[in-house]
Amino acid sequence: MRVTRFLPSGKTYTDSLTPLTEALIGQRSVLAGIPVATLLDLFDDFGRGLLQDPGTRAMDGIAFLSAWLRRSNLEAMLRLNLGGSPEFLDGFLPVGSMKLAARPRGLVSMWMAGNVPTLPLFSIVPALLAKNVCLVKLALENDEGMIPLLTVLSQSGLLPFLAVVWFDYQYQDLNEAMSRAADTRMMWGGAPALQAISALPRQDHCTDIAFGPKYSIGLLDRKRLERSEGLESVIAAFVRDIAAFDQRACSSPQTIFVEKNSRLTLREVAELFAAQFRRLPPKPSLDFYTTVRILNARAEWAIDARRDVIASGPEADWTICMDTDVSMKEAVQSRTVFLTEIETREQILPLITPRIQSVGIAFGDPADAEAFAGRATLRGVARCVRPGLMNGFESPWDGKLVASELVRWVSFKG
Amino acid sequence: MLEQQIDALLKGPQYEIPQREKEELLLPLFRDLCRSMAESCPPYGRFLERLGTPIPNWCRLADIPPLPVSMFKYFELRAVPASQVVRELLSSSTTGTAPSRIFVDKTTAFRQARALAAVLKEHIGGSRRPYLVLDSPDSVPEGDRLTARGAAIRGIGNFASSVHYAFRTLPGGELTPDLAAIESFFATHASAHPLLFGFTYIVWTRFILEMEKRGLAFAASGATLLHSGGWKKLTSQAVSREDFSSRAAGVVGCPPAAILDFYGMVEQVGTVFVDCPAGYKHAPAFADFIVRAPCTMDPVAIGQEGLIEVLSVLPESYPGLALLTEDLATLIGSDDCPCGRKGRYFRFTKRVERTELRGCGDVFAQTKERL
Repeated sequence: MRVTRFLPSGKTYTDSLTPLTEALIGQRSVLAGIPVATLLDLFDDFGRGLLQDPGTRAMDGIAFLSAWLRRSNLEAMLRLNLGGSPEFLDGFLPVGSMKLAARPRGLVSMWMAGNVPTLPLFSIVPALLAKNVCLVKLALENDEGMIPLLTVLSQSGLLPFLAVVWFDYQYQDLNEAMSRAADTRMMWGGAPALQAISALPRQDHCTDIAFGPKYSIGLLDRKRLERSEGLESVIAAFVRDIAAFDQRACSSPQTIFVEKNSRLTLREVAELFAAQFRRLPPKPSLDFYTTVRILNARAEWAIDARRDVIASGPEADWTICMDTDVSMKEAVQSRTVFLTEIETREQILPLITPRIQSVGIAFGDPADAEAFAGRATLRGVARCVRPGLMNGFESPWDGKLVASELVRWVSFKG
Repeated sequence: MLEQQIDALLKGPQYEIPQREKEELLLPLFRDLCRSMAESCPPYGRFLERLGTPIPNWCRLADIPPLPVSMFKYFELRAVPASQVVRELLSSSTTGTAPSRIFVDKTTAFRQARALAAVLKEHIGGSRRPYLVLDSPDSVPEGDRLTARGAAIRGIGNFASSVHYAFRTLPGGELTPDLAAIESFFATHASAHPLLFGFTYIVWTRFILEMEKRGLAFAASGATLLHSGGWKKLTSQAVSREDFSSRAAGVVGCPPAAILDFYGMVEQVGTVFVDCPAGYKHAPAFADFIVRAPCTMDPVAIGQEGLIEVLSVLPESYPGLALLTEDLATLIGSDDCPCGRKGRYFRFTKRVERTELRGCGDVFAQTKERL
């Protein structure tokens, strides 16, 4: 049996996706009949349930997910995504001389990345709100977080509208079946995964929503560094962004640029980061590959006379690498941050491409921050946000109003 | 003083020191060697200063910060003036990255040769034997630059009464068996306890499979086949160690126990960890190993898998005293191996494999990820 299906009761096994896709397609009309207001209430309840249920309340990122699921937040997201009115999802509304409605695409096939345990919900919820049925392929068979999430979601009665599965990525026929069944394909992951999924056969009308690969950075400007007040909490917020999801999210800062200033040397700024890292609980575990990458990066920075490094100790817990080479450093992840000193923020603008997703901006003057955001987004950055908010999934994300890409806009002129 | 201590370790029996005693013996020696290395190799000095605790605070070998082996790819790590380098060793660099460069001076070269002899003597005896190199003469070019293969072939050559090569290099670089040379070697030397050596994957693909395909088997019952190198390609072909040994023994005509795998690397030539009769690897007197847990980097408990760190007193001209490899081993025990050898012993498991699922924020993409 090649396909593992995740259910609240545990895992079941099957060899084909066809019965699942047929069952999901059969549920489309049922889902279409549920008013969006009811769906918003159900997700609001789901969010509260996640914080109460012992199986989910301690999961990485659950507090944010719960807050994101609040009715007020999701309603605001739909309003932004759907021309000001979520009720377009329930039927025709007058717009000028015509009537418009936002109809579901149909079946959304989702290929998830394995870096953020709660990631599937950020795709599933907008898709269900847009009244699409969902076939979700997880990245890992041992994604033990999914069963507790589904258990809580089952209380909403929404489970018939989605199927969560895992199968080995090498089963081309299963990937093809999933792709052919899709009216929209949603994919998260690195470049090889996205290229492979994009190349799968699909229906002519099928649309794609792709997330990744991306790289995120931070910027501490001169004015912010020259004022000691509040600096500690800014750096604490950066460290929270780094530590969340073990720095594997596309929004995790990898390189933080530090503008030269009259008060603090790069080493002193690094010591401020180190003080915040020391407050974190130790990492529970780490794979050999990432351990080796961390130790290699540390050694590379320690040996080089033009660079410097501060590390947690012999253990591969956290690492701060310092240099003055104005470049985006290869992401090592898992609490490894590169602090790069720059003369001026102008130096990093040429490095910014559409591959940069989020910039954590810590500026002393809000007007400077907005001016920088204007220029950085012109070069391709998707988000410029305060430290501490970098991993907060929101709409737009990666330049997309996701819910708007999950509907078909239809018109009526009677 | 240091030289005398190293000399004593090389002269003495290699596997008779219990672990606790060995630790007490080696720790002060490593303190002195690392201090001296830090002075003569400033990059290593920076490494110790930035990532280690002060040398006087080292209370056990595990307190010495191990230098990741890949640093030899990125930096020219030399502790002697270039004029004193008598040999430059290069790693095989199979992944397309820059090779490791190891700078060997006269003292280090001399120690390495003595060390290899001291270790191998305990496994294959001290007498010189006819030596069939399961490789091509092109792997051992003349000159001061040697690859890992060349260094190992040359090192084991110290046990040879005569040297013969089993393969030729075709114009495209492929190795092909020189059947006439192989058959002639066994016809002449089968009864003279011949010694064979090659890299594991080459031995399997170019010798064992080729001889089996041709229906050739020899009758060298007193032969010893030493092999070394990665198992990754063999594992992907579902070849177990037991298969390898029994089929190699079938071709050579010796018992499977005479097929000896050893663990070593170009960054620590002379320091080899050879299979004991129980199938485990022990550290010789002048060296040690530590199996370290991921993340914490603490030495693992018996029965657990971890990253292999190798320690050796041999290097003087480059900072190879304590090296963290990208290989994994299981720590099997200490002082209680059925073979009777003392000290810790391990079983090699595999190289660290790339974790496939690293999410959408994995790389900056324009740069090539390296381990």
